[in-house]
Amino acid sequence: MLSSLLNLVVKELRELLRDPKILIGVVVMPLILFPLLGSGMRVSQESVRESLQTASIGLLDYDSKNESHRLRTFITENSNITVVEIKAENIDEALNTIEDTNISSILVIPKGFSDNLTSGKNSELYTYSIIKGISLVETQKSGVVDYIINVFEYQAIIQSIQSAYPNRDPKEVLNPIKVSQLSVIKGVPLNVSPESLIGPIISQSTMLPLVIMMMLIFSMQIAATSMAIEKEEKTLETLFSLPVKRLSILAGKLIGSITVAIASAVSYTIGFGYYMSSVFADMPLGDLPLDLQSIGLTPSLLGYVLLLIVIFVTIVSALALAISLAVFTDSVRSSQSLLGFLMIPIIIPSIILMFADIDILPMILQVLMYLIPYTHTILAIKEVFMGNCLIVIRSIAYIAVFTAFILYVAARIFSTERVLTARMSLESLRLRRKKIK
Amino acid sequence: MLHSNYAIEVNDLVKDFGQIRAVNHLTFKVKDREIFGLIGPNGAGKTTSLRIVSTLINPTFGSVKVFSYDVVEDASQVRRIISYLPEEAGAYRNLSGREYLTFMAKFYTDSRKETNTMVNTASEISGLKDRLKDRVKTYSKGMVRRLLLARALMTKPKLTILDEPTSGLDVVHAHAIRRLILEYVDKGEVTVLLSSHNMLEVEFLCDRVAIIDQGSILVEGIPSELKDHFEVSNLEEVFMEAVKNAK
Repeated sequence: MLSSLLNLVVKELRELLRDPKILIGVVVMPLILFPLLGSGMRVSQESVRESLQTASIGLLDYDSKNESHRLRTFITENSNITVVEIKAENIDEALNTIEDTNISSILVIPKGFSDNLTSGKNSELYTYSIIKGISLVETQKSGVVDYIINVFEYQAIIQSIQSAYPNRDPKEVLNPIKVSQLSVIKGVPLNVSPESLIGPIISQSTMLPLVIMMMLIFSMQIAATSMAIEKEEKTLETLFSLPVKRLSILAGKLIGSITVAIASAVSYTIGFGYYMSSVFADMPLGDLPLDLQSIGLTPSLLGYVLLLIVIFVTIVSALALAISLAVFTDSVRSSQSLLGFLMIPIIIPSIILMFADIDILPMILQVLMYLIPYTHTILAIKEVFMGNCLIVIRSIAYIAVFTAFILYVAARIFSTERVLTARMSLESLRLRRKKIK
Repeated sequence: MLHSNYAIEVNDLVKDFGQIRAVNHLTFKVKDREIFGLIGPNGAGKTTSLRIVSTLINPTFGSVKVFSYDVVEDASQVRRIISYLPEEAGAYRNLSGREYLTFMAKFYTDSRKETNTMVNTASEISGLKDRLKDRVKTYSKGMVRRLLLARALMTKPKLTILDEPTSGLDVVHAHAIRRLILEYVDKGEVTVLLSSHNMLEVEFLCDRVAIIDQGSILVEGIPSELKDHFEVSNLEEVFMEAVKNAK
């Protein structure tokens, strides 16, 4: 029994890992694609930043007094922006003047700007961003000038406060109430603002469900294809006529597919982790960048063990489902089209739980979500990081019961002749529905 | 277990798939070391009968015994003494021919020596020799069929069940496969049950034949006697006469 099982597992692994579509597409590609994607994003972010920092702006100064001159000097002294003075009666004429230049924005200082500013009245400025295409740089053009004007405005405010209250700290006058934002994690107050948690929360609530979803989808496709090929090529028929137990054949297929699924999970986690760290590397996180350990959001040893169990039972149930479905088809094409139905209960909870907590959903949706076993996978993974082991164990129990049921069904199907005689496809389902009508 | 002179005993076999009756009260016996052919058109019930004898599917009614073992009650014993080659079967494309044969041999023995003997026998039968190192996906259709036939024979089964052994092959490859079967049966102690809709092939290979149509046997016997009986020159004409008489 054991030697037959080992024989079947080795065959399964050879077949799967020698298939370039599986080896490259599922195991190697994530290790290449995600880091490339991440590096690409990073390079493009840096290029955007660089191009914005060295931008040229046109200046239409209709005021031409002290404050407008001071603004121009402030921009050139405090940034790498090149200011090109334009002489034009109106914006249309100004645009004609700069037609063949690399000027990306025009700052218009209307008449009366300096007088209004010095007399404490509201002064107006206009910035025109010249959109030449659809890209990140184009949408951020106005931000460069706005930022520098905001700094200029802030200085103007500080000066006004200083002249009004010469004996007081202008920053205290400007911000009479100081709010310190702290967080409470696992019942412990920490000197960490909720904003600082954006990075870790994004990686946990978005990345993990996404990785689990992709891993499940790909491994189910592998398992279903592997079974469908056995039926299409009639190798399953040959196997069933050999002196080997049918349950060993099912177990061999499951173990082979699970091994490839785990290799794919590792590959996805490494690749996607690199992608996320590349993309979020330069993103401001409020205070200082945080690592999960410093705020107690890393799982304990028990947590890691539970995490592995959650992923394992989920993969087993998904693969058993995919294989059970594929035995009813007679070709790879039919198995893939029917597999689409199984993707729904995996994709829906993954996407919903990426953006929302289950508790804030309407009651009916909560009940439906709780019925789907893969909801519990994502909930369990989130709770592992929060240290709520009891909830994780409850989720594992639910998925395990579901897995046991699916394995029982798969074993029953395998022990009957339906595994060889059943022919199910979307076309046959449509025909059956027509007949019922 | 009582010893029987017959390799296969099929008694009043019925197989229904829902509303469709694929095999209709079929009864025939195959002697030990004989090549017996089930011949008939597509959909006659040949493959279903072979699948039942191979323990893949169960009868709805009736019984099938292989060397006195019941195919339902003693399925695992039956599987140890038979080998089955399905119609238009393939092999694992990403394994080499040798790996495929080794994989199959390991279900029959745990001994490495015996495994190697089986694989070497298969190498000889198939004539693939050095090509066994290559992956199956590089083989032609004829090579795959030779590999599969060698796989079916390498374990020296007491009964070999071949479903349309030359289906889809050109004349040259089909001839090679037929010669392989004949040579192997001449050498060993093997019984062959085969199905075909190619009457000439069956005439060339079989000691005895049963002509089957719509799940029932129309006529059974030695090809030369059947031709004499219907006063025709080949089995194709025997079949046409048998169908006409049945109506």
